Formats: sequence, C-alpha cells, structure tokens
Amino acid sequence: MTFEPSRRSFVAGGAGVLGGVVGAITLAPAAHAAIDYTPGHWPATQVLPSDQRHLVSRFSYGLTPELATQVRAKGGARKWFGHQLSLDDKAYGLADWWPHLHLGPNNIWQLQVSGTRGGYRVMYDVGRRLLARRIISPNPVLEVMTEFWENLLNVPTNGDSHFTWRAPYGELIRKHALGRFDELLPAAITHPAMQIYLDGANSHKDQPNENLARELLELHTVGVGGFGEKDVKHAARLLTGFHIDNRTTWRAKYDRTAHATGKVRVLGFTHDNDKPDGREATVKMLRYLAHHPRTARRIARRLVCVFVSDAPNEALVKRLSKVYLKSNTRIKPVLEALVDSAEFKAAADRKVRDPSQDVVATFRVLGTKFSRLPGQDDTSAASLMVHMADKVGLAPMAWPLPDGSPQVNEPWSWPARVMASFDMHFKMAERSFPTDGITYRAPADWLPAPSITLRDLVDHLARVIHHRPSTAALLQGCCEAVEFPPGEVITSSHPLVEFRMSRLLVVLLDHPTHFSR
Amino acid sequence: MRTPTSPACCDGSASALSRRNLLRAAALTGGMTTFGTAVVTTAPASLGASSASAPSVVVVLSLRGAADGLSLVVPHSDPVYYKARPTIAIPKSSLLAADATFGLHPGMAPLLQMWTSGRLAAVHATGLRVPNRSHFAAMEEVEDADPGSAARVGWLNRVLGDVSSGSPAQALSVGTPAAPGSLYGPEPVMAVAELSQVQVTGAEAGSDPHGTRRRSLGTVWAAESTPLGSGVRSALAASVDLLPALDVPDGAAGFPTSDLGKALASVSRVIRADTGTSLITVDDGDWDHHADLGIVTYGRMLNNTTDLATSIAAFFADLGPFADKVTLVTISEFGRRVKENASRGLDHGWGNVMFLAGAGVKGGRYYGRWPGLDRGEDADLKVTTDYRSVLAEVVASRTGASIPTVFPGLKRERVGVMLGQ
Repeated sequence: MTFEPSRRSFVAGGAGVLGGVVGAITLAPAAHAAIDYTPGHWPATQVLPSDQRHLVSRFSYGLTPELATQVRAKGGARKWFGHQLSLDDKAYGLADWWPHLHLGPNNIWQLQVSGTRGGYRVMYDVGRRLLARRIISPNPVLEVMTEFWENLLNVPTNGDSHFTWRAPYGELIRKHALGRFDELLPAAITHPAMQIYLDGANSHKDQPNENLARELLELHTVGVGGFGEKDVKHAARLLTGFHIDNRTTWRAKYDRTAHATGKVRVLGFTHDNDKPDGREATVKMLRYLAHHPRTARRIARRLVCVFVSDAPNEALVKRLSKVYLKSNTRIKPVLEALVDSAEFKAAADRKVRDPSQDVVATFRVLGTKFSRLPGQDDTSAASLMVHMADKVGLAPMAWPLPDGSPQVNEPWSWPARVMASFDMHFKMAERSFPTDGITYRAPADWLPAPSITLRDLVDHLARVIHHRPSTAALLQGCCEAVEFPPGEVITSSHPLVEFRMSRLLVVLLDHPTHFSR
Repeated sequence: MRTPTSPACCDGSASALSRRNLLRAAALTGGMTTFGTAVVTTAPASLGASSASAPSVVVVLSLRGAADGLSLVVPHSDPVYYKARPTIAIPKSSLLAADATFGLHPGMAPLLQMWTSGRLAAVHATGLRVPNRSHFAAMEEVEDADPGSAARVGWLNRVLGDVSSGSPAQALSVGTPAAPGSLYGPEPVMAVAELSQVQVTGAEAGSDPHGTRRRSLGTVWAAESTPLGSGVRSALAASVDLLPALDVPDGAAGFPTSDLGKALASVSRVIRADTGTSLITVDDGDWDHHADLGIVTYGRMLNNTTDLATSIAAFFADLGPFADKVTLVTISEFGRRVKENASRGLDHGWGNVMFLAGAGVKGGRYYGRWPGLDRGEDADLKVTTDYRSVLAEVVASRTGASIPTVFPGLKRERVGVMLGQ
C-alpha cells in the first residue's frame, strides 16, 4: 500500500468538497491554485468566546473542553474566576502520592546520608506533585498563583541542603497564595528552606552573611534602585539569629547569641533591635517592606508581566500598585482589577508557555489520564513528567538562581527549547513516551463522527487542542504532514487513523497557539 | 537543481536533494513558500557561506554565580590575603605554577601542562569599571558590554553582526536551554541543551523520507513574527547545519561526567564537524559560595576548580588538530570579597581573574596590574583592567571584528595576553 497522494487526488479532493470556492480563496502559491485550504467548520465541538478563552487560558494550565464546560456552568469566565478566588484549597489532598513529601527534614537527611534515597529525588517529588496538581486540580487559579509566588520567592528544587525543608516551603506558599503578601513574606523569609538557601541560617553577628538581605531587597521586595549597600548591611544584621542544626537534625531554632543587636535602619524602617531575640523586629521589617510602595510596584509589575504582557503597561502597573496598597497587600482585589482591565483584555495569546506549562498543557489537551504506580522513581507518567519538563528546559521550580524562573517570552523562545518541545510533543502524540501509568486517547477516538473530511477533522482538533476554530495555515500544515488532501474522507479504518494520527496531532502541538497561553 | 517555483508540496521529491542544499537554494533565490519551510525567509542571502570551515573558534565559558578569583589564582605574596581568610586561604605550599606574586589553586593541576607549555594564561584584577554586586544586573552589564546603551544586545552578537555568514549555527550556546546575554541580539544564533537536540524528532530521513515534518512546521510558523517564531526558524535552519556534528565521534568518555564536562564534549564535536560554528558559549553554574567554600583539601571550591580544570584539559585534548584554532576564555559576573564571612564563605565583591587558553594565547604567565589587597570588613579586590580590554584582545586577535563596534566607547588598556596585541 502506498500513502502517496497524487496531485490529481489533491485537486479532486479540493474541488469535490468545496466546488465553486476553489480559486476564490487561495493562500497557496500559483502552482497550487487547485489546493483549497479553506478551513473546515465543525461547530458541534463548542468553544468559549475568545475573551473568555483568554481569561481561562491565562489562569489555568490548559483550556480543555471539560474545563470549558465548568466555566459555562458558572455563567462564564469572569464569574468562574470570581468563584475560583472564593474556593478553599480543594486540591490540597490531590495527587498526594509521594510519601517522602511528608517526612521531616531529619528523615529526609537520613535517607540521603544512608544512600537510601537522595534528597534530589525528594525534590523530584515536589515537582511531580506540582505538575500533577496543575493537570488535575479543580482549582487552577490557586495553582497558577502558587507558581507565581514560588517564583517570586524562589527556593529551587535543585541544589543544596535546603531540600530538607523544601516540600513544606511550597505548601506554605500555597497556603498564602491567594492571601496577603504581608503575611506571606515574613512566613517565607523566616522559613528554614529560604534561610538555608540564601545563607540566612547560621549567619552570625560577627560578620553577618549578606546574601539573604540583598535578595530580600533586590528580588523579594523593593527591587534594584530602591535600596543601598547600607540597607543591605542593616537588614543582614537584623536577620541574624536564625539557626539550623546543619547536617545533624536540621532542626530550626533561634540562637540569641548569634543575633546582632543594635539600632537598624532599612529604608524608612527603624528599630532599636535591643533584645537578644530579633524575631519580632525582623517580622516588623518584613511587614514594612511588604507595604512599601516600591514593593507594591514591583509585585504589580510582575503580575502584569506574568498575566498581561512582557512589556508592562505603566498605567496598569500604577493602578494595580494602588489597589495592592489600599487593600493592605491582599492579592485577590489586585487580581480582580487586573483581569477587569482593558490592558488584560487586549493581551490574548501573547505569553509563551514555559517548559512545565508546555508539558502540563500537552497532558491536558491530549485528554490523557494518568495514575499512580507503586514505585517512587519509576517509569510512570506521574514520575517521568518532571524529567520531561527538565528536558524541555526546566523542571518545575528548578530555576537555579534566587530571581526565579523567567516570566517573559524570550528565554523560552530559544532554539534549544523549541527543539526540545518538538521532541516532547512528538513522543506524546505518538504515545511512545511516557507509556506507563498513562492512558492516551486511541487514534479513532479523535474522530468526532464516523466519517469526516480531513478539513473538518482539523477544525474539530483545533477546537479541542487550541480551543478555537482552525485556520487555512493549520489545515495546510496538517495536509503536508499527513500527505492527504483537505477533502479526504476519514473513517476509523482510514490509513490516516491507523498510521498517521500522531503526525496529525503533532502539527497542533507544535503550533504557535499551543506554545502560548 | 530544483527551483523554488516548482511545486514541492506533498509530492515527495524533496528527499532527492539533501535538505541542507534545498534550504540553501531556497534562501539564495529568495523563494520559500513553495517549500513550506519558514526556515529561510528571515535568513540573509549570504547563507550559502555558512558551511565553510571556520578559520577560528572562540569559546566563552561563564563561571556563573561569581567565582572567587582569589582562590583560583592566589596572590600569595600579599599578606592581607592570609590575614583576611583564616580558614579558607590556600597555603602557599600547595600552589601550582607559582611566581613571585601568584600561584594556581591545586585543583588546577590538570591544566598545568597547558600552562607550562605556554597555552594557558591568567589575567588578574579584571572586571567592570564600577562594582555591581547583583548577580543579575552584573551579568547583564558584563554580557551587554555596552555601558552607554539600554539596548539588550550582547557583545558576541555584535561580533557576529560584523563577521556573520548568516547562519544561526555560526554562534552556538551549549548546555542551557537559553543562550546567555552575550549572544542576545538581532543576529540569529542557536542554543542547544544537548547535542542530540540538533535534529527535529520525527524528521529523521528514515522515519520521514518526504520531509513532511519540516515542511509542515515551516507552514504553521511562517507568519509568526514573534521571538518564538525567530527561535523556531533559527532552530530549523541551524539544525540542518549542525547535523554533521552527530556523525563526529563522541569523546565524552574522556571528560568528567559533570554538566560542564558534557557540554564541552558536545562543543568539541561541533568544532570537529567543522561546519562553520565560530562563537560558542558554555555556562558553568554554582560558584556563588557565600557559605562553606571549603579548604585546600576538600569542599565546593576544590570540587568546582577540579571540574573546571579537568573539563578544559579534556576539551583541548579531545579537539586534536582542531585545538590549533580554538581559543577559550573564562569570565564571571564579579569577584568575591577579600575577607571571609562568619559562614566561612565569601560575599559579593568586585575584581576577578580571567583565564585564556588555546590558540593565540601567550600563556604560562600571569597578566594584569596587581592593586594590592585592602584590609577591612568590606574590602574588594580592585579592578585594574576592564574585562572588555581582555576580551578585545581575543576579538582582535581571533575574529577580525571591529573593536569599536563590539565594545563601543571602550578605552582599551593593553594587556598583551594575545598574540599580536
């Protein structure tokens, strides 16, 4: 059997389906005038209006027909969003498949030193649970905002001994993700994971370590230009005293003998700091920083960058800063103001999915179902997905620097990422990786009717995978990939279904639309 | 030869020609929509030159996190050094290739042979003219290397702009998904996390004899004018040029299994494939030693230094005869403080050391003007040589690009570390 369509069959196919339209609309070069790539139309597969698609797409990890049904049931995207903000963390017990995430720091360390299971593997578990929740959570807005704050307050899931405390750090951020920044910031900065990562732990009054203080000012709060070297030194002094029993029990405690007392001045914050226990003063400084107008600006700017555009609109940043300050650092009113802004509404499709978002969206739009296998580091999809994200460019929360993973398009637009995404998409489309603990849709199940033209099938697939109708260029790309003409009638016994469905699906996955959110 | 106006869609005849020539042909004649590949629409018409052998190769190795130059090249004659570092100083007796002032960290032992044979040099007290202690801002400043401009264009991209053949494969970043800031800019460049990624999965001739996958990708990305669209087009074009590297024997067994070892093994294959790649960047992470830097016999500094030296030595050995045209230079965003902190580590400082190895390097000695170390809690190693003056000697000696174009406004100091400079 040959799958070679002759040029004649193209002409016949095109003419057969669309008759008189041929020649009226042609995007192909002159030599191809006979091939008509007018997109198909399969309205039975419903999609949300484009403005609603935009909102749900930005605040979820992939808009599927199932999610669209939930959105409609709530009365549309904006109401769905409001409802999401009001939810308790329904996903809390979800995908709780990795028992080591519940171990204390000492136990994790013992596994490490005994060679039973390295700490880096427990960090894989952190990434696995994050990805699993993003795929199946009924509360996607919470997942999205958890990622936002984990990035701002980045403690990487790779690297040094902070793995002992990293899992509860993520849960702490999740707890505050839709709360108040003046509560999140002190909780995060004084958490042992952050303390270990940025050398706050065991920083001593004799020569205070400046690492955490500098990043606190530069990254977590006021930002570059908002502080001087003196502020770093004073903050570093106030931050002394947090102690971890390094390499023994990893217990966290406060060491009054290590704390540098004496008056501190950080920006407009002053404190006598005359007690051996500096924790109260530390929290006061952190709350002060959370309410600082420059912090408001920085957070607003980051929100606009993540959810609106790489080139944040200054007027919108200013508006959101005001909402943030007025609402006492509560995040929900800021998010509502953001999604209601004209700038947000005009910003559809402009953000590139990062590697984890690409993997999660691919699992979702392909309609895969995955389940837990008994092992921890096995070949199941639930285990492997963290490595899939890593191979595309970055495992979840694994950005190795304190500034968090880049939230702009450019770093995710490089050739290496693109090639790695093509690789991941191809293997998912042909169901060759991963294969264990995952159920893919069978090729014939992609047909919405027993018999359908390729043209309409591509429209149906675009509605399922891109959540929008197909275009002429997509149809042409699909026809080129499978070497059948637009008018080809596809049934479950057609060779396309049997041999080339993966080559068809991968065109949609490798498409600019699937690369954006 | 097939002309771009003849129909190629879905007729299967594309495989009759090598894809590379096909893409080139399309590029040179300016037509490509019939091929359905967007690869070549944005590439300049001079694309055809890119597969020529590169006369020289420059490898820029970035030590991310700010490596401690005072441990890598120890100023043993400076009394402040030992006073400021009671627990982490490298004893004079352990130093390699010591002269009256400096000596190499013992972890540099694998590179001693290159040093004594005059193929490795060090320039001390280099860096930005004004201290910048933020990793992120300093990296950007170092890699833009154009203090007067807010534009995000890296110095290597400007080199490329001056001597480009037009192929994105001419400049390559290896080991990380994104290229460093030094390569950012208008000239297309290629980045691969690992060499196997230079082929589009599913487009191998065996599984896709008609080239349907590349053609289809070209069609759906043709109108995408975003950076992502450029990334895809660069990827598709460069992957054609870089494919021969996959046929070059892999010398990875002779390298450390570290990320750096793996990356340099890949770089060696690309250079030995000899298809015109001439500017290469490699990132080596994890030099940000605020705590527990270690001592001469163990610890993070020793491990990193040993890995660095072993990887570079393996790289030049693996290159074989190609080593004669390859120059490697190391750079770090800033140096670290003179005095150790209470966590036996070092906070963010200023001046640092740069290593230069390979073709054109006047090695076996230490360069730069030693400012003497200051006492005090917050003392830095002062910068006496603008790092751009060092890079300018590499650029002038090895690439033929214009120094005023690559480093606008630079008042060059003569370092003398490169031949002819």
